[in-house]
Amino acid sequence: MQWLQNPNSSVYLNHRWHAVASWTWDAQDETCGICRMAFDGCCPDCKLPGDDCPLIWGACNHAFHLHCILKWVNSQTSQAHCPMCRREWQFKE
Amino acid sequence: MTSSSAASRKALSKIASNRLQKELVEWQVNPPVGFKHKVTDNLQRWVIEVNGAPGTLYANETYQLQVDFPEHYPMEAPQVIFLPPAPLHPHIYSNGHICLDILYDSWSPAMTVSSVCISILSMLSSSTVKQRPEDNDRYVKNCRNGRSPKETRWWFHDDKV
Repeated sequence: MQWLQNPNSSVYLNHRWHAVASWTWDAQDETCGICRMAFDGCCPDCKLPGDDCPLIWGACNHAFHLHCILKWVNSQTSQAHCPMCRREWQFKE
Repeated sequence: MTSSSAASRKALSKIASNRLQKELVEWQVNPPVGFKHKVTDNLQRWVIEVNGAPGTLYANETYQLQVDFPEHYPMEAPQVIFLPPAPLHPHIYSNGHICLDILYDSWSPAMTVSSVCISILSMLSSSTVKQRPEDNDRYVKNCRNGRSPKETRWWFHDDKV
């Protein structure tokens, strides 16, 4: 760590810059329409947000936590629909 | 009634109780107009008071909805019924069962208790006649053993009311 002395006082200034990265998913809504948790957080079954709890987009451009939409799609006996717009759910390619 | 039906037997999953707690907070901040949640410590069964909208056939009338959440809410619809006496309406049976597609086939996990309440009030408000469904007696007789309306195979034939 580098300390520089301020010539006008005996106070030491800390010139080291603490960079903290921030990130956010590039989704239009802020919360998942299924679990209602923030997209920048994770689904209720995960502990940490990020790559382990990704967002996924449908062909209709609605986004959900991957884990949430999979639970919905797998719970349907016939073709699942998008929870937001009711179009047939297809993962965006 | 259907108080012992399957809908309320299994404890809520983590995702269900998590979402319901969020819905409850959101309801307290911003309750749908005309509805009052009767506070209990049971997150899995909500009892909600409905006031008929002014200027409709149900103005100045109050009814009670009972909402039971299944283990895997919101992947599964809640069970919603009117507690007796159920309003007289062409889509509401005398046992409180409601013929409304979003409660069954057309449920989506993006819906909430609040949005379901608004749909039910809108269904009440658009009614032009206070009467029971034509097949009320037959249907109610069929559900005598406390069957859940979610076990009914509904046939949605009328989109006017």
